[in-house]
Amino acid sequence: MTREEVFETLNGVFQDVFDDESIVVKEETTADDIEDWDSLEHINLIAAVEQEFGIKFSMGQVVAMKNVGEMADIIMGQIKD
Amino acid sequence: MPASFTSFYFLCFYTFILLIYYLIPRKTQWVFLLFASAAFYLLTGNGLLILYPAAACLTAYGAVRVMAGTEDVKKRRWALAAALLLLIGALVVLKYINFGIYTINAAAFLCGAQGEMIGVFDFLVPLGISFYTFSILGYIVDVYNGIAKPQKNFFKTALYGMYFPSILSGPILRYREDGEQFFEPHPFGYRQVTFGLQRMVWGFFKTLVISERMNIVVNTVYDNYTAYPGSYIWIATICFAFQLYTNFSGSMDIVLGMSQTFGIRLPENFETPFFSKNISEYWRRWHISLGVWMKEYVFYPLLRTNMFMELGKKLRKKFGKKRGKQLTTFLAMLILWFTVGIWHGGDWKFVIGSGLLHWFYIVSGELLAPFFRKCMEKLSIDAKSKWVDGFRVLRTFFLVNIGFVFFRAASTTDACRMLASAVGVWNVGDLLRGGIFTLGLDVIETVIAIVSLLLLLAVSLLHQKGSVRERIEKKPVLFRFALWYALLFYIILLGHYGPDYSAAEFIYQGF
Repeated sequence: MTREEVFETLNGVFQDVFDDESIVVKEETTADDIEDWDSLEHINLIAAVEQEFGIKFSMGQVVAMKNVGEMADIIMGQIKD
Repeated sequence: MPASFTSFYFLCFYTFILLIYYLIPRKTQWVFLLFASAAFYLLTGNGLLILYPAAACLTAYGAVRVMAGTEDVKKRRWALAAALLLLIGALVVLKYINFGIYTINAAAFLCGAQGEMIGVFDFLVPLGISFYTFSILGYIVDVYNGIAKPQKNFFKTALYGMYFPSILSGPILRYREDGEQFFEPHPFGYRQVTFGLQRMVWGFFKTLVISERMNIVVNTVYDNYTAYPGSYIWIATICFAFQLYTNFSGSMDIVLGMSQTFGIRLPENFETPFFSKNISEYWRRWHISLGVWMKEYVFYPLLRTNMFMELGKKLRKKFGKKRGKQLTTFLAMLILWFTVGIWHGGDWKFVIGSGLLHWFYIVSGELLAPFFRKCMEKLSIDAKSKWVDGFRVLRTFFLVNIGFVFFRAASTTDACRMLASAVGVWNVGDLLRGGIFTLGLDVIETVIAIVSLLLLLAVSLLHQKGSVRERIEKKPVLFRFALWYALLFYIILLGHYGPDYSAAEFIYQGF
């Protein structure tokens, strides 16, 4: 999977979780950019991303990731393994 | 030495430490702070109880060393489990065992049993146990999760766990963010020391001038609430809200300011919480370090357990995506808020007033949000107008105050009786006809209290637009000195203190 493909899939997951088809995620997108992305939705988002890619984030990654770019880094790393 | 940052002896102790801190070689500063921290804990009358935080640090050190030395997942998990068991075990036994016993006895009594089923224990609880335990727990979990660097030196771990400014009343620290700076050399910086001292002065203003005055009114009414019904309970509760806020946030100003004079930045614990527009926002601005801790180490892990994942799936299937998701989070939040409540103390009044009641507010707020939105649309009220915002701030303050009645009342039963009286007795006239001056503050004292509260309000409003100290710094030197000296004299003249005067303890210190 290329990075573009990861972002494309992530975009779908974000649109689905936040129920908003206008969302377009970029490398630097953070929780501040999406209105409903609070701590509650963060965990739902993580669960949805894990399911979509068939991966598992560690608790450390869940709390430490700063933006969508970092999320994509972790996903890319795990898919390669 | 009393365990209070406002005592004369403590200020002597602190001045001595600060002087020596910048005179010794910088590499040894952290060692000196560790000695100072141990001395502080011993001098504040804890004596042998110092063994508890020391043992907690030793537990952290041991667990972290095991984790650092192996890649074996099983071993790491065992080290984590053992450390959590020891630390949480000590906290539960020392702080909560009597809560369990009281609850069992009360349940037995309701079922018709005579006398007490089980006798209560009489433990000496080490000061600050809830704060240092949480700081240390977070560190161990972060090392396990690979986001904090494991510390190799036991004495450095001990300084992180027992750092004297924050051990008694927080803020709860995060090693991965705050840890390393404790051990770095800190050269003397005029700006950092003066900024720190200025913040301490502001903390003294909050605690000695405002909190101590509010304390008098609160005690008068809460210690004898049958004699002060209706509106007296309202006024005393509002006073308590300001007492608790100025007491706790004032002590944080002293702690963070003091720490800043050592060149160590601690996390903020308050962000003008009474300006919050809803309860969720309030908890992001009141006791921030506790909220962050709870979110990271209780709420997230809970939602990621298999049990909650499965439950989420089932509920989504049954109630649809949106409702299902909502129900799962409400359930996890119930556990979260119970934990937040009980953290404040092993008593149902805390579990309700600082926990479950807030859960109820948030859940009902979420459920009723669509209804309120429709009402606003029908009445064509602009949801973004300043008036609506103002209403929301007042509503949130009111809801928080109901929780404070439980927090301050002697028991849950007393809190319920007081709330009933507050709603049932209408006597605002009495209060306005001079009743307000029978609560322990005469006319002059009341004026001082109101002026001081207005000053606090003005500074809080200014703070919304950035650091007040930085703005003062840019003013001409004469103005700056006049301002800080005026505040200092205001505190000296009007603060409740003195060698024989024991300020009410920091309320959060017992936790």
